Amino acid sequence: MRAFRKMFTTELKLSIRGMDMVIFSIIMPVVVLVILGVVFKDKAASDNADYSFFEQSFGAVCAIAICAGGVMGLPLVVSDYRSKKILKRYKVTPIRPIMILSVQILIYALYAVTSLVSLLILASLAFDYQMRGSIIAFLGSYLLVMISMFSIGMLVGGLAKNVKTAGLMASILYFPMLVFSGATLPYELMPRPMQIASDFMPLTQGIKLLKASSLGHSVSNVLSPIIILMLLAILCSGISIKYFKWE
Amino acid sequence: MEETISVANLSRSFNGVLAVNDVSFSVRKGEVLGILGANGAGKTTTIECILGTQKADSGQVAILGLNPTQSRKTLFEKVGVQFQENSFQEKITVGELCNLTQALYRETVDYRELLERFHLTGKVKSLVSELSGGERQRLFVVLALIPNPEVLFLDELTTGLDTKARREVWKYLLELKKEGVTILLSSHFMDEVEALCDRILILKEGNTAFFGTVEEAIRSGDFACFEDAYLAFSGEENIDESF
Repeated sequence: MRAFRKMFTTELKLSIRGMDMVIFSIIMPVVVLVILGVVFKDKAASDNADYSFFEQSFGAVCAIAICAGGVMGLPLVVSDYRSKKILKRYKVTPIRPIMILSVQILIYALYAVTSLVSLLILASLAFDYQMRGSIIAFLGSYLLVMISMFSIGMLVGGLAKNVKTAGLMASILYFPMLVFSGATLPYELMPRPMQIASDFMPLTQGIKLLKASSLGHSVSNVLSPIIILMLLAILCSGISIKYFKWE
Repeated sequence: MEETISVANLSRSFNGVLAVNDVSFSVRKGEVLGILGANGAGKTTTIECILGTQKADSGQVAILGLNPTQSRKTLFEKVGVQFQENSFQEKITVGELCNLTQALYRETVDYRELLERFHLTGKVKSLVSELSGGERQRLFVVLALIPNPEVLFLDELTTGLDTKARREVWKYLLELKKEGVTILLSSHFMDEVEALCDRILILKEGNTAFFGTVEEAIRSGDFACFEDAYLAFSGEENIDESF
């Protein structure tokens, strides 16, 4: 436990020193939320909706940090620590190299939760936001989205041949999802063909779930995203556990 | 005498090419064994198969009577390792790396004393990536010593060190030896081997070319000095003659 704590604080310090995750998972969602709040302040989500466009978008913005940590941060750090032989060095210590991977997962989860908390505070203070749905249901959805996105990240980081491949794959996953899954550019503003393409992205399904739970919609509306995310999590984590490359 | 490291019939091949072929030897408690050989002779592969970071195709290994793969957690409380390539996180400082390493073990030596001993105290706040080659090498010797090891593995420990620093590392290792620490090292420096090693294992293309003491190596043929004996056993002398 002492080793885990020490490793967590050290790795967190190194990660914050790197700054990229602070920018992409803490600052960026805040900026997007402010823009959405200012631009669509009193706009209704649709003609017959009783909730605003901003309320609808809140769930989507919460997914930015998960996306940044899951498909960009995690794969890069995992492949980097493998190619730098850091995982190998831990093999000749009393702790197992999996500890440093768990530490990294926890760090990215911490970034996501920090982002979520700051978005909730900002939205309620600056834009009178109040979540319509149950916060428990929302947190449950948030956790599921996080697990499924992180499992994609572990799959990419665990199987990529080197840091370069991992970086390339992370970019292919991260940038399109950031823009086209509805996390930044609202899904509802996309033309229909783009929405159809967007539906194939895992994060789009996650955002549907987050929106529905934050708006208090019934679970029966989002059964398919829930099933897709669960299957994805089981599949990706299963493959990455079985085929993880330690060296 | 107690055997601290025992290796029996160790073999390992890469893509059908034997890197280590049926190597057997043992290291007694408090003994320093040097593994020598040309580049690619199988020194690092042998060390890594003993440690369990590479999987041997066949053979048995025991360190302190334990199987390094099965009893990893217990064994590596008492084993210090310095790999040939030094691995560290980008942007980590000397102090952070030492502190983190210290937290991995139950019983440790205070890393500050070790840094002092290896003239690195002034570098505690420096990034590891910004250290000079020699400083970094000394740091990784320090990291290997942090667990207060009973057994020490040092793969090319003084490569990149200047003469003074090498002497200091030798002196420290000889003190550890006196305290009963068992050391297995690989080296390219014959003076180092003569100064430190009780016995040597010379590898040639993965095969054992010689196993015994430095004196035995010299006496085994018409050799003027240990370096001549080494060149003959390792098969490097032929290259010299072609000049």
